[in-house]
Amino acid sequence: MPKQRDSGIEAADARLAWCCIAPALLVIVAIALVPLAWAAWASLHRNDLRMPWLGQSFVGLGNYAEAAGDARFRESLAHTGLFTAVSVAMELVLGLCLALGLHRAARLRGVIRMAVLLPWAIPTVAVALVWRFMFEDGYGVISAIWSPSSGGWLVGASAAWVPLILSDAWKTTPFVALLLLAGLQTIDDGQYEAARIDGAGRARQLLHVTLPALVPTIVVALIFRTLDAFRVFDLIYVLTGGGPGTSTETVALYTFNSLFGRLRFGYGSALSVIVFVVTFGLALLYIRALDPQRRGGDR
Amino acid sequence: MANQYPKLGRQPPQLRHTAMVAAAGWLSAVGACERPADPTQRITISGSAVGAEADVLKRQLKRFMLGHPHVRVELLQTPDAAEARHQLYVQWLNAGVGEPDILQLDVIWIAEFAAAGWLHPLDGFAPDTNDYFPAALRADRWNGRLFALPWFVDVGMIYWRTDLLDRAPASLDDLMEMADQARGAPGVYYGLVWQAARYEGLMCVFLEVLHAFGGRIVDADGSVAIDSREAVAALTFMRDAIHTRGVVPDASLTWQEEQVRFAFQNGQAAMMRNWPYAYGLMQDPAQSRVAGKFSVMPIPAGPGGTSAAALGGSHLAINAHSPDPQAAYKLLKYLVAPQQMLERARGVGQFPSRQSLYEHPELAEALAIPPAQARQIINHAVPRPVTPVYAELSELVQVAVHRVLTRQAEPAVALRRAADEVRSLLVRTGLSGPQTEDDPAASNPRGSE
Repeated sequence: MPKQRDSGIEAADARLAWCCIAPALLVIVAIALVPLAWAAWASLHRNDLRMPWLGQSFVGLGNYAEAAGDARFRESLAHTGLFTAVSVAMELVLGLCLALGLHRAARLRGVIRMAVLLPWAIPTVAVALVWRFMFEDGYGVISAIWSPSSGGWLVGASAAWVPLILSDAWKTTPFVALLLLAGLQTIDDGQYEAARIDGAGRARQLLHVTLPALVPTIVVALIFRTLDAFRVFDLIYVLTGGGPGTSTETVALYTFNSLFGRLRFGYGSALSVIVFVVTFGLALLYIRALDPQRRGGDR
Repeated sequence: MANQYPKLGRQPPQLRHTAMVAAAGWLSAVGACERPADPTQRITISGSAVGAEADVLKRQLKRFMLGHPHVRVELLQTPDAAEARHQLYVQWLNAGVGEPDILQLDVIWIAEFAAAGWLHPLDGFAPDTNDYFPAALRADRWNGRLFALPWFVDVGMIYWRTDLLDRAPASLDDLMEMADQARGAPGVYYGLVWQAARYEGLMCVFLEVLHAFGGRIVDADGSVAIDSREAVAALTFMRDAIHTRGVVPDASLTWQEEQVRFAFQNGQAAMMRNWPYAYGLMQDPAQSRVAGKFSVMPIPAGPGGTSAAALGGSHLAINAHSPDPQAAYKLLKYLVAPQQMLERARGVGQFPSRQSLYEHPELAEALAIPPAQARQIINHAVPRPVTPVYAELSELVQVAVHRVLTRQAEPAVALRRAADEVRSLLVRTGLSGPQTEDDPAASNPRGSE
């Protein structure tokens, strides 16, 4: 008898729970899953807006096969990987230093934090323009001091990455720092006290107390930053336009070019789906790494 | 929608008059953006409509309406940037909307739109096309039919400093030599400046040098020729002009028209490749240090080639879904009439597309540039390949050329890769074969409807 009543209550609770989350689920389905499914469906078709005579036939995985054989797409994937790895690593290291400094700053905390956050508050397009002016031909502030060629930084296939990565780091390090700062403030002072009593110096405290306690926050920051960096578009679109040649073209920029430059909606959708699968896979990896049970089991 | 009242014309004149007055009153009450239920024909036209260009066009449309009281012309605002306008047009036309009736098309879009079936053929109106520059008219035909008429032409040309150089260069090598030597003069840092950012302007510069070396993008028989020996020589020449001779600054690898113009009008360059728009602006001593100190010519011939000027310009065409192509054509015909072209030349300095106007005394006072000089350059005009996939083809070539000019690839390697990409583009789009130039596309059913 009691069991039955329990299960009855559970069932009622479950129903209520479903009713409560239904609106949210509906919204998610409408604004996330439906467009996603639509893009996946479009990616199985040929739909070149500029060439209506080709028709809009079902081509199966044809667009994906084309992407696999598309050297420019593969190059853009490599560019994206490079950009993501370097800029996220820089942001994490710099962000950690900044967070540690901010955490210790006793006076003027509010003012300093606001000042640190300023770059994050500036629209990316404005940031990209300013950085472009600084690194452009012979007249930019930076290229006037030193530049790998007389034409400035933006005409060098490797040199053009420097302003891109630096500006991304400049703009988003504050965000990482703020996240990590929040993480630092949750660490119990007692742990440091215990470490000090055990004779641990500053460095050992950092290595054995601060960093392990900060891991979940670091992973969250990594998720945000990696996914953002992997989909980077506006910064590169404005700063280099993917050039010189296509040497700084990322996946998002190439997808944009295919979709809105060439107006190839089928092929562009296939590229978007690939980008989605990659970022989703990355997110899953991070979330597994974040799972405290798994982390506990690894030790 | 004007067809909603097709019988109104047969009603007693008084009633018609009353209706028109009422409609006019209502019109002025609700503003021009509302669609009035009046009996007048409504024609919409879209194009570049900012600044002086908008003033000229609005004046002409107003005059046309005075002469055609039953017609009301509306100017649809579209983005002034070519790429943005192109994208908007494609979306509209793909959706089959009947507006705008008249489209202002860049010369390189016509084949694309015609092949897509988005333009109303003009052959039925039997326009007299004898007066137009043949090079411009070539871009108006697709599959042997006429889809647009040239509105004004644009040509690439070499501006050279008459105070630094005592004569015009005789050949491409001569040009490089002279530009190199002129660099010694005080304040003159650059021999030659050109558009070498990765965009359509680079394609035009490359096209001119390519022709100067006797090369082609697409051969007369329609085969892709950008990996030919001539093309490799042309691109090597361009790269060496930047990196070996240093006559062209490598800063130009990020420059478009305006940066190039600023370098030249500030007196920093001995020569410049640019479009005619720069001429009038640089004759203004208030902003230009080279006013009265320059002349123009087509880019001279190099080894094995001919003097060439990339052909640009705008054309007018009729939307295939226009509810009333006849009415639209009336306006189109009015806009490409000699008088309107002269007015455009006076107002915004655009070159008329009619040859006879270059003898017209009014043109001499309308244009900043002497008409005979303009005419001489237009005679060397070479169109870009007339193909529905021009935009994609151009992007592939731009990437290859820019990679070479930024020393990421050797000319022969980059051009071979681009040629292969263009060939597979033509195969993918069913255009491979001899139809990419002027010849009809046998495998293009929509275009031959």
